[in-house]
Amino acid sequence: MTPSILVVGERLSGHLTSATREAVGVALGLAGPEGSVVGFLAGSSLALSVTEFGELGVTRIRTREDPRLDAAGAGAIAVSVVASAEAVSASVIVTGGTEFGRDLTGRLAVRWNAAAANGVTEATWADASALRVRRPVYGGRATETRRLTGPRIAIAIRPHAFAEPTAGAATATTEPDSGPEIPDPLLAARRSEVAAAGSSAGPALSDASIVVSGGRGVRDANGFRLVEELAASLGAAVGASRAVTDAGWRPSSFQVGQTGKAVSPQLYIAVGISGAIQHIVGMVSSRVIVAINNDSTAPIFRVADYGIVGDLFQIVPALTKEIRRVRGLPAN
Amino acid sequence: MEIAVLIKPVPEAETRLRARADGTQLDAEGVKFVLAGYDESAIEQALLLREATPGSKVRALAFGPAPRTEEVLRAALALGVDEATWVESPAEGADDPGIVARALAFALARVPHELLLGGKQAGDDEEGLVTAAIAESLGIVDFGTVVNLRVDSATGSLTFQRATEEGVESWTAPLPCAIALQQAWNDPRTAKLPNILKSRKMPIAKIPWAEVSAALGEAARPRSVAERFELPPARTGAKMIEYKSPEEAAETLVRILREEAKVFP
Amino acid sequence: MPDFSLTPEQESLRDLARKFARTEMAPHAAECDKAGRFPEEIYRRGWELGLMNLNVPTEYGGSGLSVMDQCLIVEELAQGCGGMTTSIIANCLALEPIILGGTAEQRAQWLTPFCAEYHLASFCLTEPGGGSDAGALKTRARKEGDHYVLDGEKCFITNAPHASLYTVFATIDPQLGHKGITAFIVPRDTRGVAPGKDEDKMGHRASSTSTVHFEGVRVPVANRLGAEGEGFSIAMRTLDQTRTPIGALATGIGQAALDHAAKYALGRRSFGKPIAEHQAIQIKLANMVQSIRAARLLTWQAAVTIDRGERGSLESAIAKCFASDAAMRVADDAIQIFGGYGYMKEYPVEKLLRDAKLTQIYEGANEIQRIVISKELLRAYA
Repeated sequence: MTPSILVVGERLSGHLTSATREAVGVALGLAGPEGSVVGFLAGSSLALSVTEFGELGVTRIRTREDPRLDAAGAGAIAVSVVASAEAVSASVIVTGGTEFGRDLTGRLAVRWNAAAANGVTEATWADASALRVRRPVYGGRATETRRLTGPRIAIAIRPHAFAEPTAGAATATTEPDSGPEIPDPLLAARRSEVAAAGSSAGPALSDASIVVSGGRGVRDANGFRLVEELAASLGAAVGASRAVTDAGWRPSSFQVGQTGKAVSPQLYIAVGISGAIQHIVGMVSSRVIVAINNDSTAPIFRVADYGIVGDLFQIVPALTKEIRRVRGLPAN
Repeated sequence: MEIAVLIKPVPEAETRLRARADGTQLDAEGVKFVLAGYDESAIEQALLLREATPGSKVRALAFGPAPRTEEVLRAALALGVDEATWVESPAEGADDPGIVARALAFALARVPHELLLGGKQAGDDEEGLVTAAIAESLGIVDFGTVVNLRVDSATGSLTFQRATEEGVESWTAPLPCAIALQQAWNDPRTAKLPNILKSRKMPIAKIPWAEVSAALGEAARPRSVAERFELPPARTGAKMIEYKSPEEAAETLVRILREEAKVFP
Repeated sequence: MPDFSLTPEQESLRDLARKFARTEMAPHAAECDKAGRFPEEIYRRGWELGLMNLNVPTEYGGSGLSVMDQCLIVEELAQGCGGMTTSIIANCLALEPIILGGTAEQRAQWLTPFCAEYHLASFCLTEPGGGSDAGALKTRARKEGDHYVLDGEKCFITNAPHASLYTVFATIDPQLGHKGITAFIVPRDTRGVAPGKDEDKMGHRASSTSTVHFEGVRVPVANRLGAEGEGFSIAMRTLDQTRTPIGALATGIGQAALDHAAKYALGRRSFGKPIAEHQAIQIKLANMVQSIRAARLLTWQAAVTIDRGERGSLESAIAKCFASDAAMRVADDAIQIFGGYGYMKEYPVEKLLRDAKLTQIYEGANEIQRIVISKELLRAYA
């Protein structure tokens, strides 16, 4: 088999995102020894990420230099992606499953007339032209395996589900994509400003690899600070149950759950959260779950891997202190 | 403003998931299907925009089998949506997102729409793929993770914000446009009893699957097929950490996370 | 009614009530119970959603629901809080005399403005000297020209301190016994109407209950419901309609107790396993669910019978009596399953026992229900 796989790169502050790196790993796996992986970048000031692609083993990069594409949305970029995919006879397009990647994959389903799937956690060839993928469904409470039939397949991979390939030394060459003109309607939206995120103390909830969440057990807005201190010690994102956001102790953007965000970090620490199903649905696909609650019968202990029954006002500060010690951080 | 809201029936959150006997899909027997939480937010957003822009209409569309799809459309009518269209799927449902998107795009051709609102369905994680695909069919831009959606009545364009890794972005987009709401940031209203009763008598336009599949032609054949549906191995319950002091609990947990769970650097 | 499944419309009604109960009633139940607080904001919200005035025909602005549909809603509300449910459905009890006994003009004149805004109403039958023995009531109604003058005292009246309307049963002549009883519509702001202080009750503490004094209350003849002497019949026919939903209320309290107990039994461990794996608990849970399911089905049977147009006295008496006794047993078992925690007010089950108790007493004490049941039963064999 000599499949040609196109990896669409996404950048943050000029660098390839970790999701793109993971996508490269998937693409290399699908290409196998006989196939090829081609990278794709759009926007301006692409040089740094071209180099980074090269270091990951992707030595041929299709580029669409156009500053309008730095903040244009997936629809505009899809035009070029399809042109490049055709140019390299790609059979699969892989993108990191960030919001951009999921959006792009949806657009490719129609523009490239491809079989498509988002949130992919495993991808292997079922036969010469069909891909078998696995993805979490129903808020991560189940997993489905799907067969995607070629000749064109577009997937967005779930962030943190795959390892990044080790970087080596290889140079990448670029091929400009002159592709079709991007239709005006796809460029009509304007980004007027980017304000620094309010409390940018930690990573964004949806992509963080560690999340610490607090629930009603923290008692009030002030008590929630213990949760934030624990998160800071871990470099983790901060989440909350609906009880917390409904009570106004933290904004609704913190909410993890059925009507909040769904997260699937490597580690989820639930502090003072009882474990109502509406919350569980948002975090149950986390790899490891730790629950701290003073009620031994709280339902959270049924989904957690490790539990501590006790007073969170004692346990959490002790945990924060221990983590800071172990990580060599100053005591406070 | 003509607002179209795309909704879908999903199993309610409390459902105990089970695989069908052939192991390929969810066993829908006895499952209660409801309007997804995100769809309630999308409808709420649409109704708020209608209230802010007099003369607007809100229409709900859903693709799926009987009877669950009709029921969620009735729930949408009970909330105050003006009209509802049921795009029929094959009886066993259709979960190839490409087909879903094309079927809805086909239906949208006969429904006025300037703003498309779709919800990310936490119930089944299509993760915005369908909304983006529909936007592509219609040749319009689409955005996700949108908050603070407003209409600038002077220009008729949309303003909104998105939270990304780089910060909070402020955007302006002309209509037509598709928005996938990924977070329930508004407080969806509850349908009142008299409206629930009224909604049962309101008409729902139906586009039969025969018509949809004829229009889709080749594209009606699934290219994404479910092969297996698996539940994770039952979590047997937390391993409880015994301790004599909070410090000991902390030490034990950190050690376990490093050595046993291998999650902690 | 061999098919026990609900129509999609009934499921929507039930789901609305369930959502309101879970998200707006239950979170405040413990606090209102502890403080004896009347949560007016919750009642207003219930009215906004159409959950009050369930029995009032839609032409007057009510929800116009069948008894069966009312039962579906009431059971869900009761799972949120029994006391709040009592106050929510008290309007149904108070307005039923107007629906049954009023002329078309009276119905339009009183029901339409009442339902158009948030209002509470109270049904005034019970007196300090007579509860079950309603026929012996003493409140007097003296005819004076085109008015009646009411004098007397009612007690244990739900919502009385907050009601804007009372339906009052008084006698025009004590010598006539129950044939003298006459029904009247009395607006709260009529001179001489004095609701008392909120009683400090064992349960249903979110519901407000008090005496109402009537001192020289002048009520126009136009406010009389039905003929003189028809009041007792109106009262009994009213209770025929409202008795069955009380069965649903009791069922709801019992279901809540069962839910708490079953979940607790799966989590709480003793002797190395969840207590749900001990036979003593399993047998209790089995008895509890049998009682609740039986209560529900008896309630449904009574509701369907009444909706068919029959009087349903036997069925509704059985439903109310059985369901209230069941709720007491189930709440008691639930506390036992919780053990020491069940005895603590911090846990939700002891409230359920206190709430269940009232359902055996009000809306026709269970002793009276049993007498009715036996009378109706024997009629079939006579």
